[in-house]
Amino acid sequence: MRLERMVERMASAVRNLLRRPQVDAELDEEVRGYVEMLADEKMTRGLTQNEARREAKMELGGVEQVKEQTREVRAGHFVETLWRDLQYAARMLRKNPGFTIVAVLTLALGIGANTAVFSAIDAILLRPLPFPDGDQLMQVSQYNPKVKSPNPFVAPIRLEDWNRMNSTFQALTGYYAEDDSETSGALPEKITIAFVSPRFLQVWGVAPELGRDFSPEEERVGGAPAALISNRYWRRRFGENPKALGKQLRIGKAGIPIVGIMPSSFLFPDHDVDVWLTVPIGAPYTESRDNTWYTVVGRLKKGVTLAQARANLGTVQLQLGKQYPKPDADIAVNIQPLKNTIVGDVGRSFWMLFGAVSLLLLIACTNIAALLLARSSHRRHEISIRFALGASQRAILRQLLTETFLLALVGAALGLVMADAGAKIFQRLAADLPRVGEIHLDATIVLYTLVCSVVVTLLCGFFPALRATREGISASLAQTSAVQVSSRHRLQWLLVGVQVALAVMLLAGAGLLVRSFEELARVSPGFEPTHILTFHISASYAETADMKGLTHRIDGILDSLRALPGISETATSATLPGVPSEYAQELKIVEGPIDPNHKITADSRSVSPDYFATMQIPLLDGEVCREQTGGLDVMVNRSFANTYFPQSSAVGHHLQVLGALAKFYPTAMIRGIVGDAREEGLNHAPEPTVYFCFSAPMPDPYYLVRTHNLPMTMAETVRKRLAQLEPGRSVFGISPLSDHLSESFSENRLRMFLLAFFAATAIALACIGLYGTLSYSVAVRKREIGLRIALGAMRGQIATLFLFKGLGVCALGCAAGLALAIGFSRLLAGMLYGVSPTDVLTLSAVVVMVLALAAVASLVPAVRASRVNPMTALRYE
Amino acid sequence: MTRVQMELLQGTLDMLIMKALALGEMHGLGISRRIEQITKGTFQVKPGSLFPALHRMEEEGWLSASWGESENNRRAKYYQLTKTGRRQLETETQRWGRISLAIANALEA
Repeated sequence: MRLERMVERMASAVRNLLRRPQVDAELDEEVRGYVEMLADEKMTRGLTQNEARREAKMELGGVEQVKEQTREVRAGHFVETLWRDLQYAARMLRKNPGFTIVAVLTLALGIGANTAVFSAIDAILLRPLPFPDGDQLMQVSQYNPKVKSPNPFVAPIRLEDWNRMNSTFQALTGYYAEDDSETSGALPEKITIAFVSPRFLQVWGVAPELGRDFSPEEERVGGAPAALISNRYWRRRFGENPKALGKQLRIGKAGIPIVGIMPSSFLFPDHDVDVWLTVPIGAPYTESRDNTWYTVVGRLKKGVTLAQARANLGTVQLQLGKQYPKPDADIAVNIQPLKNTIVGDVGRSFWMLFGAVSLLLLIACTNIAALLLARSSHRRHEISIRFALGASQRAILRQLLTETFLLALVGAALGLVMADAGAKIFQRLAADLPRVGEIHLDATIVLYTLVCSVVVTLLCGFFPALRATREGISASLAQTSAVQVSSRHRLQWLLVGVQVALAVMLLAGAGLLVRSFEELARVSPGFEPTHILTFHISASYAETADMKGLTHRIDGILDSLRALPGISETATSATLPGVPSEYAQELKIVEGPIDPNHKITADSRSVSPDYFATMQIPLLDGEVCREQTGGLDVMVNRSFANTYFPQSSAVGHHLQVLGALAKFYPTAMIRGIVGDAREEGLNHAPEPTVYFCFSAPMPDPYYLVRTHNLPMTMAETVRKRLAQLEPGRSVFGISPLSDHLSESFSENRLRMFLLAFFAATAIALACIGLYGTLSYSVAVRKREIGLRIALGAMRGQIATLFLFKGLGVCALGCAAGLALAIGFSRLLAGMLYGVSPTDVLTLSAVVVMVLALAAVASLVPAVRASRVNPMTALRYE
Repeated sequence: MTRVQMELLQGTLDMLIMKALALGEMHGLGISRRIEQITKGTFQVKPGSLFPALHRMEEEGWLSASWGESENNRRAKYYQLTKTGRRQLETETQRWGRISLAIANALEA
């Protein structure tokens, strides 16, 4: 029944729209017939024909009104009026190209910036990961709640236990990646290998594009070797030839056949992976419960919540703790949505930027609202006529809003184009951020801009339209553009003030970020980051089986590189200096008492003994450590010495590593004390630090080479020398240390640039708003100005009057903006370095800048006001 | 003036129009006069309410319309209840009965 009626109504709508002239003619005839019959009726009661006609018409009310009311109930009426309103709006906008261009550009800028940031937020934060049911994917890690050190990696055997015993995951898998060389070609090629546990592709829910997944035999010890390769590697190495399947890769001594090629969308653990290999279960090195090296990802069963999974796996681990008290009783499980761990904490930056662009859009809206207010006063005449002709207030309101909507729509379309271009630039600038590759224009984004334009229409169109129509006929036709300094004027100035306040707020934020960056550049890192070349040499973890050989190999490399002309020092380090890599380690001083309330923790770093000379970290006390065959030497920094040995010298004391790693570290002697260096990043004050002196803390450490000239000029020399020394290994990631340092601030820098850009746009819009409003005010008050000049006012006085009007409003706006900036300063906390969120210098610089710009924007209209010719102004009306 | 001028609720107006048309087809003015007559002059339907209501009900499918000649040989649009319209009148009548009873009870209570 309901459906039937809907269909009927649709049919009526179509009929009404298609046969409009006929339907209208019939209505006309029907109403006319009614009047005539009414008149006939009255004539039978003895009135003359004319009197009867007149009374009948009076009884009817306005013929046009009745017809309009009837049309309004007709199906399709909405579409009809919308179409008419749109046509009319388009005509109005075409007639005022100046206004239209300014408004469309302003809105395009506001909506475009907003959409660009939203598309990044949507791709990075909101959308699920690009895997089937990506929200079911969880990162699972193990940790020891008693030790501060976060070692998130999982032992393979424990992963198998979890898989067998849990009831909330479809499957759990693990991987670890390392760089190695593939040597089947003419030259060794560096490849990134991910070693994966069984069930790897099952967890991702992705199948190879060509070939097949690992077979169960290949995942077990003794099974045949097999490799999956990435699409990128397939393209690079095999030119997308399907015959790559079955070809042998040579990695180390093993030849491994390719069994599958992954689709290009599959980029896990990251987009660098070239090859996936299995870690067979049951291999001897996977049997120890202390060998932890997997990063674990699990896929939840359908409908299972995070809390259920946490509870379930927690119970499983408790059972394992009973079964294997050592070490499982000390281990707890942590589960996080994989998306969170991939995206990390870039969310804050993005939401901050989204806030900034929303303010920008608000400023744009305010600007348009002020423009519309000014324009509506020009259109009073037209609106009055339409009222007089029987249009209802609603109809006129609708018409005015349609005009704004059309503006917003055109602005949004242009904004969409800008957002798309902006997103492309952003992808280039922010290539290091997670998931930026996923940003693209799609239906969600288009829908978002549509919603934006509706919101914009209501925000900036509703109030001016309401004001324009409220006065109705009372602003009668007779009254032309008489001079008035009405309250409408005051509202416009309020809008200017709001724009200034919002712009000041954005500028204050941008200013603080810029100042933080300046402060950061001024920081002395405690080491000398220039003239350092860094690189890697491919190696496999398997080499750790022979630590002596490994150390010998690396020392040999360091020595022969040091002998090259143009190179003064060489060193290795497990981590790069100045690049965040926090690894806190709990320690005990062998000679001292253990105070459980004062645990000794230090940032622990593994470096070769020549690290200090290479990085030019000064020796303060004792001597530089040496590589020991039996024992272990450590160096500590000044903070460590001052914190834990306030009375005596630290040199000569012994340290013992506590926790899970204890057995890997012999008791170490403190050989010397070095200066504090900002190892954890330039924005982190130095922490107590212990340097363990190994040249081979891992098979593939960072190599650091101090060069006489610019670091990259030595790259080829180093590469050639290494090709002689290690023909079977590839050298990769050659870059100056300064590049790494600046990369580690890429998010900060991007955030600063974008906010500064938005703030600059905001202040530009605010100035345009000020200029427009002041110009309008001058235009409206022309006669008054003329009169004043005629009565003897100095032209300078007139100019000052308008200049101060503009500046006064801006000053109020600045005050409000400062209050807002201080009120919201909390939002920036954690993003600032070395400046307080209420830094007086920054805030006053912002105010001075805004007032200076406001003065410039006000000057032109003010001067124009002073040039008014009294004769023309007074004759004008 | 003994006539009570009332703003008719939309549903009530629809019901009265359908009631007026229950006896046979009629043009706009006729309907208006008929309603005055059957409500003993309590309700006077203005054209500004009558025409929108007639057109709406026609589109709802409750009324059908055709052009014809009036008593004075004027061309007029005649409205007529459809089957759906008759059913609608019945439901409306029952509903109205329930409501008025309920209100009467409430006011006596």
